[in-house]
Amino acid sequence: MSPEAPPRRARAADPRLDTVPPPPADAATKSAGDRSSVRPPYLLDFFPLESERETRLHRFYERLAEGRLSTTRCPKEGTLHWPPRTACPSCHTEELEWVDLPERGTIYAFSAVLAGAPLGMEADLPFAVGLVDLDGAPLRLFGRIEGASYTDLRIGETVRVESYEVGDGRVFYRFRAGPGPGGPPVA
Amino acid sequence: MSGRAVALVGGATTRFGVRPTTWAEMAQEAGAALFRAIPELRADECDSLFVGAAEPERFAFQSHVAPLAAEQMGLRPRRILQRTELACASGQSAIRSAYAAIAAGLSDIAVAVGVEKMNLPSMAEANSAMGCVMDRPWDGPHGATAPPFFAMVAQRHMLEYGTTEEQLAAVSEKNHRFANTNPTAQFYAKSFTRDKLLRLPLVAPPLRLGDCSSMTDGAAAVLLVGEEFASRFTDTPVWVRGTGQYSDFHNLANAGSLTDWVGLKHAAREALGRAGITVRDLDLAEIHDCFTISEIVEYEALGLCGPGEGGPFAADGRGDVGGDLVVNPRGGLLGCGHPLGATGIGQAVEVYQQFAHQVPPSRQAPDPEWALVHNLSGSANVHSVMVYGRGRAA
Repeated sequence: MSPEAPPRRARAADPRLDTVPPPPADAATKSAGDRSSVRPPYLLDFFPLESERETRLHRFYERLAEGRLSTTRCPKEGTLHWPPRTACPSCHTEELEWVDLPERGTIYAFSAVLAGAPLGMEADLPFAVGLVDLDGAPLRLFGRIEGASYTDLRIGETVRVESYEVGDGRVFYRFRAGPGPGGPPVA
Repeated sequence: MSGRAVALVGGATTRFGVRPTTWAEMAQEAGAALFRAIPELRADECDSLFVGAAEPERFAFQSHVAPLAAEQMGLRPRRILQRTELACASGQSAIRSAYAAIAAGLSDIAVAVGVEKMNLPSMAEANSAMGCVMDRPWDGPHGATAPPFFAMVAQRHMLEYGTTEEQLAAVSEKNHRFANTNPTAQFYAKSFTRDKLLRLPLVAPPLRLGDCSSMTDGAAAVLLVGEEFASRFTDTPVWVRGTGQYSDFHNLANAGSLTDWVGLKHAAREALGRAGITVRDLDLAEIHDCFTISEIVEYEALGLCGPGEGGPFAADGRGDVGGDLVVNPRGGLLGCGHPLGATGIGQAVEVYQQFAHQVPPSRQAPDPEWALVHNLSGSANVHSVMVYGRGRAA
């Protein structure tokens, strides 16, 4: 994964709305999981709360901060879950194990958001999203696809998973197309 | 079906569109319209109220909307008062709940109302409300809303079956043409030719503006009663003959095939089976055309045509007046707009009016015996189906 992933673009100012303050200037210096780092208002923020105080799945985000996309697996049945879970949906055991996921996948379907972005994502327009079949794992993950215009993407193209800093201490994942360790497009 | 028979005996729809009015005011408007449509109805005999509302917390900063709606409508429910939330299927959920209550003998005369206020000064906030219908902490940060998901459905359908933009436009042209006969529709008195639709801007490729239903303010209400009360309100009761629902995923990663909506097959089989009919018996269908591609995939999942044949089914007019059955004569979500909680109620109003021959001839299904109503919700991860008949169960 790319350790030098650029920070997420700043939230766009909406002139019709004065209730969303800009991110605090020192947000990037705070550690992941610091509740005070979350930009208010929390209920208009799509990014999850990630710390041990806030979610039993905090290891997902801790591993993601190390550049590892991971999920839970049921040790009894061997089935991979997405999203990661605290209880197996099949046998309901709560003793699950964490496993790393492949760093590459191929695009199964994609589109782009050209208009109608949610709050905080207006400056991202246009952006591509897609469903990606992970190489060697039975998971088809949805995610933002960076690194190429949506007009250049192709079904079957190889993309890489990368983690990135949200900008306030939190992390998330996305896909990256284009030249690099992912190799050339296959279709 | 076993149990007490339940009749749909009337209803009314407010004007759908970008409305200079609030959530509560639209509830009042729907109540006024319902009492005008059913002059025999007295407020004090409505024992129950079911309120379909998807996201009043987001769109109107208001929860606990069931008593709010009751007060606005002048009702004092004494048996069952509840809100139903199932995103885009919230309205049908209100009807299903009213039906279940009446069939069980817990209610005799119940109102199902749906209200949604979606147009806000900040459309980015409204888009965020649509985004949190998805699996918010996992799909939401990527910018997932309905258009890119259904765009991927269209992309896969085009790849797997050769479906074309022109076939998508055929769905939109039909539903907008029907909406031109419906004064309550958002796109009433607006003309959309296929050529014009194909020139509208892309929203989420390959979907263009005319392939997408709108952000809409609107409300609608219907009256459902136990069999012994039906004749008090109408000479043309429409009977609830079957219901079915199915859900097998929520997160987009677990959608499986984008083009084979297995959940709709299950829900329709359940609902049609309870009615004792097949899809070939249907005279009209109000199905969930939140996007043009949705209606095409639904033709296939309902069994109106084979897999991959939904595009030609649309282009050949088989869902139009004069075709196999009339699909979305109200104007659909594309033509009427899609106020989430009100949509399912508005569809039921159309079914009632079709059976009563109260709609213009240009959208009237000939002498209908059977109708199906379908709503999907979210990323097509829930399918809800109801079947209505002119005849009461034997």
